[in-house]
Amino acid sequence: MSINMVKIGVVSCSGEDCLGGTISRLVTRKMLEIRSDATVTICLPLFLAGGVEERGFAEKFPTISVDGCSKACAKRATEKYSGKVSAAIDVSDFIGKEVAEAGALSSRNLTDEHKAMVEKVVGEITTRFDEVLRAAQRDQVAKVAKGLAMVGNGPSGGCGCGCGPK
Amino acid sequence: MIFMSDRIKVIPCSGMGKVYGLVARESALKVVQELCPQESSTVCLAYIVTGDQEAKELIEGVKCITLDGCPSMCAEKNAELAGGLVTEKVRVIDSFRKHKGAKPGTATELTEEGWLIVDEIAGEIAEKVKLLRKEG
Repeated sequence: MSINMVKIGVVSCSGEDCLGGTISRLVTRKMLEIRSDATVTICLPLFLAGGVEERGFAEKFPTISVDGCSKACAKRATEKYSGKVSAAIDVSDFIGKEVAEAGALSSRNLTDEHKAMVEKVVGEITTRFDEVLRAAQRDQVAKVAKGLAMVGNGPSGGCGCGCGPK
Repeated sequence: MIFMSDRIKVIPCSGMGKVYGLVARESALKVVQELCPQESSTVCLAYIVTGDQEAKELIEGVKCITLDGCPSMCAEKNAELAGGLVTEKVRVIDSFRKHKGAKPGTATELTEEGWLIVDEIAGEIAEKVKLLRKEG
């Protein structure tokens, strides 16, 4: 069993009512590109709609929540239905509360300024992601030594439901 | 004057793993921001998922149109659990049946073909919003 099979779930709020939600979604999608081997995205609404696999994944593997505003819905819902998140990102900490809580943005209207916001948050989440991944890999090594290892059998760079990247 | 609470709620799933989630999201945004800004509004689905009383109050007893990208129907289920009156359940995948072989893009970015499908779905939902508003 390889430590490369450790997966990190990234749970985005994808809020439909504010710019922060759009940024959180784009940041999460970006993680599938830059950490494709270790990232699994999880659809937050599936936690409540009966997503046994989603709940199970987030109970067993580390998760990082990405929220668009200080309501922290992704973090709170993940912890309510599954388990404690390993790291929590609030987009409004990086782009400002007022900007984050402005109206939602269609990806058709993304400007260079919005793309820069995405890159700024991606920089932060990547740092946190790598820390969480290293810790999970160390944990994995310890579990392998004890014969208790658990590895991700979901698709890398994909969706928690097992549909694979699209 | 139409109060925010009287507006039809258009709630997409915004699913992360497939292009259909992005199509649902963009269709909803087009309806509430461009086609029916006075008659409709949206609400963050993630907020509803938290189960907060404040979030429930936003849709409890309010007519909702849900848009889902996959058969899990998360938007519909969550809106109903929170007490929303789901009067229309749009399955994005059904719209794609009219566009066999279409290459709409990815869950990150839509192609021109994907945007055309968004415009088509949004147009259909806008009609439903107007109809529901007339019904009162």
